[in-house]
Amino acid sequence: MMLIAGTIPIRDLPLVTGGVKGDGDNLVIDGYPIPCTQGTGAMISAALATTDYLKLDPPQAVVAGDIGDGEGSRQIYEYLIQNVARLTPGVLALHYCLPDMALMRRLCQAVRECRPRPLMISDAGSMYAAKAAGLANEFAAFTPDMAELAFLADGEATHPAYINRHLFCADIGRVPGLIIAAYRQRSAARLLLVKGATDYIARYGDILATITEPRVPELEAIGGTGDTITGLLAAFVSGGLELHEAAIIAARVNRTAGKMARVTVATRVGQIIAQFPAVFREYLCAWSGTCLIKGGSYHE
Amino acid sequence: MKGSTDKNTKERFEGGGLVLFSAVRQALDAHRVLQEAGYTARLVAPPPQLRKGCDLAVAVNLMEKPAIERCLEQKGISYLSLEPLKAGTSPLLEIVAVVDFDRWLMVKAGNMKLTFAKDGGEIVNTSGGGCPDIPYLHAELVGRSLTEAPRPKQAGFTLCALMLEQALEEALRLWQGGEKQ
Repeated sequence: MMLIAGTIPIRDLPLVTGGVKGDGDNLVIDGYPIPCTQGTGAMISAALATTDYLKLDPPQAVVAGDIGDGEGSRQIYEYLIQNVARLTPGVLALHYCLPDMALMRRLCQAVRECRPRPLMISDAGSMYAAKAAGLANEFAAFTPDMAELAFLADGEATHPAYINRHLFCADIGRVPGLIIAAYRQRSAARLLLVKGATDYIARYGDILATITEPRVPELEAIGGTGDTITGLLAAFVSGGLELHEAAIIAARVNRTAGKMARVTVATRVGQIIAQFPAVFREYLCAWSGTCLIKGGSYHE
Repeated sequence: MKGSTDKNTKERFEGGGLVLFSAVRQALDAHRVLQEAGYTARLVAPPPQLRKGCDLAVAVNLMEKPAIERCLEQKGISYLSLEPLKAGTSPLLEIVAVVDFDRWLMVKAGNMKLTFAKDGGEIVNTSGGGCPDIPYLHAELVGRSLTEAPRPKQAGFTLCALMLEQALEEALRLWQGGEKQ
């Protein structure tokens, strides 16, 4: 079971848990409509599009309303700390939340006690908290962009706002060096999927793959396109792909969907997610190598 | 983090931020005001390298820097600064990068990006970030003009919002005729 946790930008949304359904442009969790916009909504939508296509169980989600004051973030952390051992998800994907080192430490302790232990993927605020608290090695994958990679590579920074200016100014050619620095600082998860003009997939400092095509530079400007990659990654791993294979395919799917949607910098992320089924139909069989999945059904 | 009490979190509070004061009275008042507002705050002695004024400081969650500063200012509490606790931390980023997309410009500040139309100044997208106010600010800013959009520093709570504020400031400067830096 895949469990996605993160905040939703709706002020009064209570803590909501349960299986995710799609309803037009919205998601529905326990009867509550959740918009498919930048953040956790985009991540869950991408994961749901993937599980729908693969005919897997839909994602389970833990979400709460939070517009920045941290109330919903705290509810999510506390719920997971109290319930993760009972839920025992195969994949636990953590997303937008107020970075809180102490709560992240308690959550990681709770996850350590799970049998079997969930595979943890982290992006956004939960990744910031994990790095700042020195807990990166508890995670299977982080999905930073360039600025966030610089944050991981800066041993002193507790948030990307405080990264060393020389690291912030690093160009794409310095990504391999930043990846090595992040691992030296013990600030990287076992696998890094670095999102950018070139996507890098690295494991323990070794670059396993780079993805440059199709080239769609507009994606960087579109809110939610990093979130969709993380949702795709979580869903593919939950579906049984190896972590690095899932990362490569997630990056390819996102780029190709952007190309198919003929994006501009003004495009909304929902228009890109809408292209995922077409990308899966056309390319997933070839990209997955084993032709495990074709046309929305399994082929052994 | 709002919603916690000092009593419950005293042993394990790791906020990463420190509010510094020139007088002990200010520190005591700030501690009380922040707790009343729902923030986790703890009275501590500042480490020597951060000691600027008095020997008492308030430990807070650094991620909430704009919200905490706003709270103290609204309550009339004077303070010297809110700084990262960790020694060797770089200063808050104040540089931006700009990418030209023909009809649009994307301004990057730290982990945040804001893209606006050169013609008309409409904010067409924001991306990046990881704090919970960022999707909220995305919804509030996109579709508004640079001059009419809510300011992230006022509407947001976190360091990510502070970075988005810097991107918006630079976007405004560029749109109003400034040269690219």
